[in-house]
Amino acid sequence: MIDAAKDFPILEKEVYGRRLVYLDSAATTQKPECVIDTIAGFYRSDYSNIHRGVHYLSEVSSERYEKAREKVSEFIGAGNPAEVTFTAGTTDSINQVARSLEPSLRGNEVIVTGVEHHSNIVSWQMAGAILKAIPIDDDCNLLADSLEITDRTKLIAISHASNVLGSVNDIKDIVSIARDHDIPVLVDAAQSIQHMSLDVKDIGCDFLAFSGHKMYASTGVGVLYTSERFSDMMPARGGGGMVDKVTLEKTTYLDPPLRYEAGTPDIAGAISIGAAIDYMQKIGMDKIKEHEHEVYSYARDRLLEMDDVTVYGNTDEMCGAISFNLKGVHHYDAGLIMDKMGIAVRTGHHCAQPLMRTLGVEGTVRASFALYNTKEDVDMLVEGIEKVRMLHS
Amino acid sequence: MSDAIQDEIIKEFEGLEWFDKYELLISSAREVETMAEEFRTEENTISGCQSKVWIRSYINGKRLHFEYDSDAMITKGIVALVLRVLNNRYPQDILDTDLYFIDEIGLKSNLSPARADGLMSIIRRIREIAEEGVS
Repeated sequence: MIDAAKDFPILEKEVYGRRLVYLDSAATTQKPECVIDTIAGFYRSDYSNIHRGVHYLSEVSSERYEKAREKVSEFIGAGNPAEVTFTAGTTDSINQVARSLEPSLRGNEVIVTGVEHHSNIVSWQMAGAILKAIPIDDDCNLLADSLEITDRTKLIAISHASNVLGSVNDIKDIVSIARDHDIPVLVDAAQSIQHMSLDVKDIGCDFLAFSGHKMYASTGVGVLYTSERFSDMMPARGGGGMVDKVTLEKTTYLDPPLRYEAGTPDIAGAISIGAAIDYMQKIGMDKIKEHEHEVYSYARDRLLEMDDVTVYGNTDEMCGAISFNLKGVHHYDAGLIMDKMGIAVRTGHHCAQPLMRTLGVEGTVRASFALYNTKEDVDMLVEGIEKVRMLHS
Repeated sequence: MSDAIQDEIIKEFEGLEWFDKYELLISSAREVETMAEEFRTEENTISGCQSKVWIRSYINGKRLHFEYDSDAMITKGIVALVLRVLNNRYPQDILDTDLYFIDEIGLKSNLSPARADGLMSIIRRIREIAEEGVS
């Protein structure tokens, strides 16, 4: 087991006179001291705009920003840092792909899954695509055999792990089917990047999207990996910093990655992703996975042993989030009561309304974990559930 | 302006810990009759709440009578308190009533903006209905 809580200053906080038990990391993770220091340190001593100044600070900032890109590239196994662009987050990454591919998507089909988060639904609809979902079985496993690719299928966009259930989808299986049909695949890794090692070349996807703030870095910054196959994709946004030659008649664009980064990016945010990667790698992704698996399994076991608790989803591999409901208790009541015990859980539909409809519920209580959580946190969650039960008896 | 019902509520909540406050809200919610399914319509739903709240009203004499329900017990308990004060009053009375008890019983200070918004939406809807009753 790792002892990482000490690295996160906010976890020393008390709420309502009780120790904070933070179980809402699927929404956003807390930040380790080293990431906070990197952001503050960058603004204190190195900050300037990038890629356009000849002066010293601009050089230093540019170097730090590009170093962060290299770290991301290595972290996800991309062959070339040019395949990594910084965006405003997972949602923005998905939207950019939707905008860029819009001409081919409009009126055609995008295949998603039955466990998708709204950002992997709405962006495609806004690009005029018709969505088809790979159905799920009672345990929320994807029924990959039901994947129907037609002439009108232009993209497959799937989440790696569900933000609600914590179920990990077998994306390699789907990518290999897609490859046979030469259909590009976008993987939404927002809920997996912080829990396990990912290798885009091994997965074989064309796009991979994730956010900084769910992997111990800043909010408002994220990553879009775009395979070299799509290096001449039309940029979703235009403006400064992404152009080669501009005349009033015609503009030509730079090559990736700058092609996709119009305007001044979140420089400190990108650098914070680099710092977060350093932090995770110092602990080791395997160790993180092992530690989280132990805490996560313990939580599942404790919840499953309660007769009045329904736990949703049961796939071979799970990570991050657990969704449940207590019999006869509204998730909102449960969340309010646990809040008063210092336990931060999420309640509601978790921006996954189609999945809620499939599960036949209005919402759930979701406890989600990160590398700083311990079995003790799970015990507190159980105590919270007992208190909820007591108040409803 | 002091209000006997509000003062009574304040007294009931005086000195209670959060656990007891929630217990009181849940038990008062239990005493409220469930609203018939046919009235739990989109039209009667108040948006801005993380839980669902349904409110309908009718004039009884010249007084406004409200029926309500929520799928969450704590929310229903809070609506129960608000309507314990405002139910069966003349519309103008409802508009004139300052709900000072909400601050006093320590509910508002514990409400996050989202939750306070939910409560405000409920009160706003009740006042809108009262305004229609006045005009």
